[in-house]
Amino acid sequence: MEHTEVLIVGAGASGGVAAGRLAEAGFQVVCLEQGHWPDRGSYPAARPTYELEARRRWSGSPNVRGLAEDYPVEDSASDVAALMYAGVGGSMILYAADWPRLLPSDFRTRTLDGVGDDWPLNYAELAPFYERTDRAFGVAGLGGNPALPDGADPPLPPLPIGASGLRVARAHDRLGWHWWPAPNAVLSAPYRGRNACAQYGACMQGCPEGAKASTDVTHWPEAIAAGAQLRTGARVSRILTNSAGLATGAEYVDADGRWHNIGADVVLLAANAIGTARLLLNSASPRFPDGLGNSTGLVGKRLMVHPFANVLGYFDDRVDSYIGHVGAKIVSYEFYETDTSRGFTRGAKWSLAPTGGPLTSALPTRAGTSTWGSGHHAQVRAHLGRTVSWAIFGEDLPDEENRVEIAPGLTDSSGIPAPKIRYRVGENSRALLDFNIAKATESLVEAGAYRTEYESLMRYSGWHLLGTARMGTDPATSVTDPHGRLHDVPNVCVLDGSVFPTSGAVNPTSTIVALALRATEHLVANRRDQRTAA
Amino acid sequence: MTATLELRDWLRPLADALIPADDGMPAASAVGVADAQLDLVLGARPDLGRHLGRAFALTAGISPAEALATLAELDPTAHGALLEAVAGGYYAHPQVRELLGYAGQQPVPVRPEDYPEYLTEGLLERVVERGPIYRPAD
Repeated sequence: MEHTEVLIVGAGASGGVAAGRLAEAGFQVVCLEQGHWPDRGSYPAARPTYELEARRRWSGSPNVRGLAEDYPVEDSASDVAALMYAGVGGSMILYAADWPRLLPSDFRTRTLDGVGDDWPLNYAELAPFYERTDRAFGVAGLGGNPALPDGADPPLPPLPIGASGLRVARAHDRLGWHWWPAPNAVLSAPYRGRNACAQYGACMQGCPEGAKASTDVTHWPEAIAAGAQLRTGARVSRILTNSAGLATGAEYVDADGRWHNIGADVVLLAANAIGTARLLLNSASPRFPDGLGNSTGLVGKRLMVHPFANVLGYFDDRVDSYIGHVGAKIVSYEFYETDTSRGFTRGAKWSLAPTGGPLTSALPTRAGTSTWGSGHHAQVRAHLGRTVSWAIFGEDLPDEENRVEIAPGLTDSSGIPAPKIRYRVGENSRALLDFNIAKATESLVEAGAYRTEYESLMRYSGWHLLGTARMGTDPATSVTDPHGRLHDVPNVCVLDGSVFPTSGAVNPTSTIVALALRATEHLVANRRDQRTAA
Repeated sequence: MTATLELRDWLRPLADALIPADDGMPAASAVGVADAQLDLVLGARPDLGRHLGRAFALTAGISPAEALATLAELDPTAHGALLEAVAGGYYAHPQVRELLGYAGQQPVPVRPEDYPEYLTEGLLERVVERGPIYRPAD
């Protein structure tokens, strides 16, 4: 049987980071990725049908796309639909590249606010890894943000905030509220052989310029050059274990439907918080009857997705928010930290976001109304180029009722059992979102909006998949140790957002890759002590 | 999928009911929403063809207003596909885009070297002067 030292499942954000570092350190690495290499030439940005394609082939929902490499996610019992992408680069292919960090309090919600759980590490411990991954991905931003502790500046200057960002920044200046040019993993200048942003405004359907960071352009080419093997169209069905309870490798199926087994000393899971939980649950065996690493029963539980609301402001003047990067023009942390007088704990981060082209004006995907017949043109003219949106990410408190399970009778195109998610917005989240909707409305009115609309919860907003294999120091209350290693199976390590004990209220990719790099460095440093099945 | 002549004839008045000539903008049928633009739409979104076919079967021969109301009530998926096909074809047309001042998602070089107005106006200085807003935590 084929054997490798390290087997990685998933070639997305965390898998790419780990592969690059491990290959550089001289490890023999094989990565199995169910999707394929993205073809930048196929991205729809410049086509006249761009917005139409964005609603299907380039949707973030695997259920909407329905590609052979996608797996279905049964979400009928969920308030929010899960979004992801299968391919080299993973969900980074379709993410917005908003690149904030968690704040210090996010690591200590139990100590500070009596909710959630403290992380087994703090901001200061993760900061050096944030700085390394910022450089590797080419983050554009501006240092000195008083919402965060001091640290190294991002490697590139911030992207333009545009007319919409300037208008709202001036409003926050008058209100005395926090704002800052947003950090984005999008190049504001040529960097390490990649082109600067061409401002297509289509980041979430694939960046045709390669300026948006995703590991297919930032990590995999170097990882492969250093010896890592990347196998696409390879879908892992289960992790294999021996009688000693150690992982021996994995079973997978290739794009032609042929089944294989591959042996490995160490298995790294980087398949997102739904895919990794699904794989652990699907790896049940007589020794691990409830799934691999699941002696606590916590695998799949505590799913967090960041409940997402948005407020739209209409302006008399053109603000042309559809030009430029999508992630965030500016951000505000004014209402991020807990203020118990508001009636809820924790808070939200706001990102000022574009509102799309004419089809999105006619058929809003976020807040906004559709008008047909008389009044249609007036509505589209009012929306197109004259609106901007505050995207509100609220902190999601962990709840064991919110979970990933195996869906009875549902499989992917290879016959592998598919996941089901249950997710309900809790009372704290609802109060938190309502408060922030009111405040974001106040912001846009101060900025000159003559009309505002809001969406109190956007169903297709489950980009941030977190928490289904939480890390911790106590094997009785956590699935992995502080470096992502399963307490139950010490040669399996979880690298993705599954390990988050709490969610914070920021886009998680920068934290996911910083944690993945930290876990990988730990693996490299402790290679001689690593238990294996061999 | 290739749309039949019958489906195109059925679609034209429905499209104009949704997007009429008004406010200096052409009607949907005037820019070929039931003709060349429909072919463009179905090329990019073949999934819509099935639903349009069902909408046609359900509402052929009744007035546009009644057809739209019937679809919304009896087959929301087909109704949604109709809206997507009509608006998708309309807003992909160059004449419509020109009238709206929308050039599409086109490349525009980024110029970070331009000195941002928010700096010249001192907006960030005042954010910094207000001091840290995060809660320290060890």
